[in-house]
Amino acid sequence: MSRLLRVEFRRFAARRLVRITTLFALGGIAFGTFIAYTNHFRLVSMPDVPLGTAFPLVVIGWLLGASFIGAEWHAGTVTTLLTWEPRRVRVVLAKAIVGIVAVFALTLALQVVLTAFLALAASLNGSTTGAEGWLTETGAVAVRVSLLAALAGAIGFAFAAVGRNTAAALGVGFAYVVVVENLVRGLRPEWSRWLFGENAGLFLLGPSNDFPYLERSQLGAGIYLTLLSAILVGAATLVFRTRDVN
Amino acid sequence: MGDVIEVLGLRKEYRRFRHGRIVAVDGLDLAVPEGGVFGFLGPNGAGKTTTIRCLLGLVRPSAGGCRLLGADAPGGLSSVIGRIGSIVETPELYPRFSGRRNLELLGAIAGVGRPRVLEVLERVGLGERGDDLVKTYSLGMRQRLGIGAALLKDPEVLILDEPANGLDPAGIVEVRELLRSLGQEGRTVFVSSHILYEVQQTADRVAILAAGRAVAAGPVNEVLRAGRAEGLLVRVEDLHAGLRALAEAGIAAAADDGLLRVEHPATGAAAVTKALADRGLYLSELRADEADLETVFLELTRGAGEASP
Repeated sequence: MSRLLRVEFRRFAARRLVRITTLFALGGIAFGTFIAYTNHFRLVSMPDVPLGTAFPLVVIGWLLGASFIGAEWHAGTVTTLLTWEPRRVRVVLAKAIVGIVAVFALTLALQVVLTAFLALAASLNGSTTGAEGWLTETGAVAVRVSLLAALAGAIGFAFAAVGRNTAAALGVGFAYVVVVENLVRGLRPEWSRWLFGENAGLFLLGPSNDFPYLERSQLGAGIYLTLLSAILVGAATLVFRTRDVN
Repeated sequence: MGDVIEVLGLRKEYRRFRHGRIVAVDGLDLAVPEGGVFGFLGPNGAGKTTTIRCLLGLVRPSAGGCRLLGADAPGGLSSVIGRIGSIVETPELYPRFSGRRNLELLGAIAGVGRPRVLEVLERVGLGERGDDLVKTYSLGMRQRLGIGAALLKDPEVLILDEPANGLDPAGIVEVRELLRSLGQEGRTVFVSSHILYEVQQTADRVAILAAGRAVAAGPVNEVLRAGRAEGLLVRVEDLHAGLRALAEAGIAAAADDGLLRVEHPATGAAAVTKALADRGLYLSELRADEADLETVFLELTRGAGEASP
């Protein structure tokens, strides 16, 4: 298993999509730093920054997770891989683990870089007053954002594994967010306690009047999202274990 | 050791939307002994690739089963996969990685190091192109890389699905030599192909598949003999006179493309010569009508309904 994990980490790191996404993100960080610098960024508002990056990072997590297995199906390399390691559960779990861990590490690293540059901008041409404890608070939010991106990656991975391509996962994700969640909120608002969006919001922001039907804690929302991801990855593993690979 | 590949009553059905059930393999029995090159022949859709996919655990049989090196497929494959190298159809590798990197990634799964990767790249003629991206490779080069991947583990058993696909004539000859040498090294090479001449040149044993069933199997010479009666080809100036002369001598013959085909063992050439000479007919050519694999293949698979892939 450890060999398989090492190989998958090497493959993840060498993926063009990962490199392009990282480059775009670094470009965004440079642009954001410039804006912060010219607008006299105040360090006290730093904890809000990771919240602003949550949506794009969750989308990136979904995309990277889904494409990690979707590209294999598309290229037909799943066949080649299974002729080297026929234990399918190991194959799919190694990929899922690497996808989740790598998305978490990448998104966290991007937030660390962004935070460092913004802190520099604040110290050079902004304000650092009244910002005691900013690093701990920002770090906690950034970790939650990265966890959420990793869980989104796991769910995207599960859908792409079953649908056999990245587009299927992206399509399902888009339809779920735009159609299903809005329908539930409109027609059965009491069911919204089970929605990904509501729980993600609670996990990031903490208890709020924005989530009237959510009676669980912030940690509870995180556990719920983790369980949801685990169930979907587990289901995808079972499907992958028994299906024909043609 | 006995048979390294055993296929027992293998049946594979696919259920297709709007097309109902399609039988790709229909009760196939096959035994491949240790060592040498085994040719697995059949027309398109005969079930060759499906059989190979079943052997490698990529698809699950609807009935029957397969054993590789004594291990059941797919359940026991993990215990023997390190001794098996394979390619299935056109080998799919990461197009945006170099050939070397592809092999290194695969090799890392089995603990195969870089020196072996470089050695294999040399052996399949990609030593100088190993650092180029696979997407820049021709089909033939990808095929060679696939063969290289199959060789990485230094396997006892090689399962190669159409390894000469996309290769130019020189490449086909190289693959032929490679398969021969691998077979002579004591490995078992199970190779599916539709290039019958190549198989005849390379294989020690063959199985011919039609509509998902084996219609012939055994050593190449035996299959050739079983597929077509022995005979002689005789050239005489007057075919009709020759036919009459042979008929009078009690030798069955028929005109065949400007020659007389005599259904007679090659050892009976003297009787044919005498029968013709006694009637003043002198032959200008006499040779054994040797069956080739293509002729036998076509005769055995003629009329067999096409199954799905």
